[in-house]
Amino acid sequence: MAYRVLIVDDSPAMRTFVRRVIELSGFELSDCFEASDGWQALEVLRAEWVDAILTDINMPGMDGQEFLRRLAEDELLRSIPAIVISTDATAHRIASMVSLGARGYVTKPFLPETLRAELERTLGVPCV
Amino acid sequence: MSEPLFQQVLRSSVDEVLEKMFFVEALGESPDSSPGGEKPQAEVAVQVGFLGDPPGSLTLRVTSAAARPIAADFLGCDEDSVSDRQMEEVVCELANMICGSLLSRVESATTFHLAAPQIVPPTEFPATGRATSFCAVDLSNGTLTVAVTTGTPTCPEPAQSAS
Repeated sequence: MAYRVLIVDDSPAMRTFVRRVIELSGFELSDCFEASDGWQALEVLRAEWVDAILTDINMPGMDGQEFLRRLAEDELLRSIPAIVISTDATAHRIASMVSLGARGYVTKPFLPETLRAELERTLGVPCV
Repeated sequence: MSEPLFQQVLRSSVDEVLEKMFFVEALGESPDSSPGGEKPQAEVAVQVGFLGDPPGSLTLRVTSAAARPIAADFLGCDEDSVSDRQMEEVVCELANMICGSLLSRVESATTFHLAAPQIVPPTEFPATGRATSFCAVDLSNGTLTVAVTTGTPTCPEPAQSAS
């Protein structure tokens, strides 16, 4: 099965990298959407259904924390698993993002297999 | 955290980020670790301010000859097709990740906050006496140098958090 994923990050370079890493890891992508902040991500989600969201925290406009809050408030969108990708590996930050609704958390730097494993875990993809 | 230990943690962060995210291996300590010296090669420099305990900033400079292939690998394209802007974006990400990795390893009771990475003139690289810690490594095509200055809040927007 191939999945539809939304990548939210203000850095175009990072969005390209994340997409590339997902593909390199062997995770099957059917569609990959991109947004540069939470506002743009919500716009994408109004038009396209996705299976998973990968989001940065620190973004101008709507940051990752507010984006997760908005997702949690939306009866339809709250069911989409969101994974945070951040340089912040502190327990406090991870706990904070999980409390806002993040289903997964990947700290930078990460290996392709780590991102794939987190995607598969949150999507409930059986290990082969 | 003691200064030698901070230095060691900085080097570990540089190595880990280069290897995992940029598929680059540091060849060893660069003999040219003296900031502000004569640098005939073109360079890209980036500064990331942070608030926390302690507050400060991380400044990274890398020779363009090394930055371009790193950017090409990161973006999955040919070196010739990497624009200067893309190269700067990738170097900003590199600095951001090293800074976040470093701060996550430093003992701190507070949550740190990172400012958005800013391109700065290479001449703004801190002089030896101003920086708390330095790390200079040789790469296959050039040199990467990182300086961390702590003690003075340089983060312009306290509301920002790590990315």
